[in-house]
Amino acid sequence: MNRTALAVAFTAVVAAVFAGPLAAQGDARAQLAKMKPKDFPTQPIEYTVVYPAGGGMDVTARLLAKYVEKATGDRIIVNNRTGGAGMIGHSYLATQAKPDGYTVGVLANLVWGDAMLRAQGKWQLSDLEPIAYLNSDPLIWITQTEGAYKGKSLKEIVQTAKDKPSTIRVAVVPGSMWEYLVEQIESSSGAKFLRVPFQGGGAGINALVGGNVDVAQGFYSEFRGHLDAGKVAQVAVAATDRLTSFKDVPTFNEVLGGNEYVWNVIRFVVAPKGVPANRKAYLAAGVKAAMNDPDLINEYRKAGVYFDPKLANSTRVAADLNQYAERERAFYKKTGRLK
Amino acid sequence: MDPLTGLQVGFSVILTPANLYYCFLGSLIGTLVGVLPGLGPLGALALLLPVTFTLTPVAGMAMLASIFYGAMYGGSTTSVLVNIPGEAASVVTCLDGHQMAKQGRAGAALGIAAMGSFVAGTLSLVALTFFAPAISAVAIRFGPPENFGLMVLGIVCTLFMITGSALKGVLMIALGFLAAAVGIDVVNGRERFTFGSLELSAGVDLLALVIGLFGVTEILLNVESMARNSVIAERVRGLWPTLADWRASWKPILRGSGLGFLLGIVPGGGPVTASFMSYAMERRIAREPQRFGKGAIEGVAGPESANNSAVAGSMIPLLSLGIPSNPVTALLLGALVIQGIQPGPLFISQRPDLFWGVVAAMYVGNVFLLLLNMPLIGLWVQLLRVPYRVLFPIVLLLAVVGTYSANKNVFDLWVMLGFGVAGYALRKLEYDLAPFVLAFVLAPLLEQSLRQSLVMSPDGAIIFAKRPVTALLLVASAVLIAFMFRRQSRAQGGTK
Repeated sequence: MNRTALAVAFTAVVAAVFAGPLAAQGDARAQLAKMKPKDFPTQPIEYTVVYPAGGGMDVTARLLAKYVEKATGDRIIVNNRTGGAGMIGHSYLATQAKPDGYTVGVLANLVWGDAMLRAQGKWQLSDLEPIAYLNSDPLIWITQTEGAYKGKSLKEIVQTAKDKPSTIRVAVVPGSMWEYLVEQIESSSGAKFLRVPFQGGGAGINALVGGNVDVAQGFYSEFRGHLDAGKVAQVAVAATDRLTSFKDVPTFNEVLGGNEYVWNVIRFVVAPKGVPANRKAYLAAGVKAAMNDPDLINEYRKAGVYFDPKLANSTRVAADLNQYAERERAFYKKTGRLK
Repeated sequence: MDPLTGLQVGFSVILTPANLYYCFLGSLIGTLVGVLPGLGPLGALALLLPVTFTLTPVAGMAMLASIFYGAMYGGSTTSVLVNIPGEAASVVTCLDGHQMAKQGRAGAALGIAAMGSFVAGTLSLVALTFFAPAISAVAIRFGPPENFGLMVLGIVCTLFMITGSALKGVLMIALGFLAAAVGIDVVNGRERFTFGSLELSAGVDLLALVIGLFGVTEILLNVESMARNSVIAERVRGLWPTLADWRASWKPILRGSGLGFLLGIVPGGGPVTASFMSYAMERRIAREPQRFGKGAIEGVAGPESANNSAVAGSMIPLLSLGIPSNPVTALLLGALVIQGIQPGPLFISQRPDLFWGVVAAMYVGNVFLLLLNMPLIGLWVQLLRVPYRVLFPIVLLLAVVGTYSANKNVFDLWVMLGFGVAGYALRKLEYDLAPFVLAFVLAPLLEQSLRQSLVMSPDGAIIFAKRPVTALLLVASAVLIAFMFRRQSRAQGGTK
């Protein structure tokens, strides 16, 4: 009897010593076990990515899958349903995916534009319910560190585009935030840029480095290699606040005055509408447990993303994301894209 | 670090049991991926990406890179045997490779493909070893106008792929452009020719198109001739290329190596374009171009070499600038980023172990692939002894599974079937299918680069004359067309 008690006490002490640093994770895991529905999951869960393997979105999803597997012990498969610049995958999730919790979307806010402008009433944003926030990437303007626009500030660039309209070549991705940002600057300042269309941000950055455009727009992770090598410099960032990692790069808002120059890629997890509440909660808890793992946060930081404090600490992710989506809808209405 | 010291470092990194194992594993998987139609290197790399999370960066990259070029080795197998391209870069291998198989020379075709791949892979690695930084400095200047020049040259090459009536050939090129226009406009993001269909907004899938046009069409034609009781007798003659084969092939292999390497480096190139352009070039300079499409070994040797050296070429902008020039290298970039490594201009000097390790791994992988593929040829050729009535349902199943697995989209199966039936009709009416496919592959970049250049240019089309590389490419295209007209008029003069 006594011996048993001793053994239990000893085990408890040992457990406490070893588990101390892991307590937070242990808590999350215990909570997860409690939330786990009896009949779910009995087969692997599919994380749908609507962009090709290897891109920023795909890397985000695969890292997430790795850590959710670690936290929950469930099998997760990342599946790229690509095509039509994301439209195929978005439509699949909104209209075809079974709402049984086995299909989840790891998406970016580019889904908003698809839902509002391109879905043609076949589906809408409310068909996809956000369950967790992952990370963000603000759009940043960069120039070459040599040549005509070397060391030029945003103010000087915009001034040149006013004095000599249609001479500054800016790389844009048509029908997306790359183009919207340029459009906002033009309509507020009266400047005129030469918008050279590319199929993605990365292609535009390559064109900048090759001297085929004067300004490129992209995410930190896309131009980090050239930045480290001193080939490109950051001009301004389309975020609400300066980034903690680059305190000397101003925001568009502070240089141009106003509050509308905010364009981020926001990455989050959605479930198709109609997934049973207990399964949805369990899926969300799995993602949350992974996002509490400092290793995952570290891996995301290494990939160059940032965490929007408002969303990262939010208890009402869906509502907060929706607020951003409504801001985008307002832009579409204002510019006549949406009636 | 000079290249030779670099290579020493690289080999010391890669010649450990673990790294060699992953290199071998990648070669093996790559061969299988190439052999199985539908599952291309892109899909396979996506599936295996999570595996590399747990490996060291060198082991992970060695494995993924060897899958990429391993697929180029294996891709020719089904092209030759059953006329279904194992992946998109092996489409042209169908044209003469399968004809060779019908003449009982599948072994020679596969042997030349494997040896050509090895020679091209190794030669282009030597070029990569010594000139990577210099080449990347030139490659980065390649902008929309240069891409336009390159694509025009590519389209001129499609003209050389026409075997029968010139009018019919040009018609097929036009149809290829039209098919490529379906989907979302690359410049303004609007839908074209989609008729409100969601599936069509993604455009026509290249893989579904080629598997339908080549594989399904071939099955239909064969089944028909089976019904008419003319059995396709495939006497297997000789497993290896003969001396005459070698004499015919060594020049195409060298030309294919050079062309593929250059096309791998530039953004609009890559293995698919490289293989097509090599085929067109071989046909253009052949003494008897009429042999092409009827089992000319040059038509296998050139393209199969070109697609392999394009792989090494495309590693240059990736590793020395962090720029992916095609979707597969984009995925390799993703694999590095997941490991916390960002390739850029400083990559070679900051991570010489990794850069040279990957280069050394590719040398080693090429040897593995040759050793792996040569013995397999005997086995593959045996497959042809299987009676066609047993073989064709299996081939059809492979085509269906392969097409579906690429995008997991049922619509692609209809595309495959539709192009299969269309291909059957077109072959009956003696239209060439290859110019259609090449036009389809080149059209999007041709259109995009033309429109980008015109937007960039303050004075319209003058921009093409102002850029020396573009001007050179356009002049070369014009000269080629002039040659073609001269040959045609001479041929007509002869018949009078």
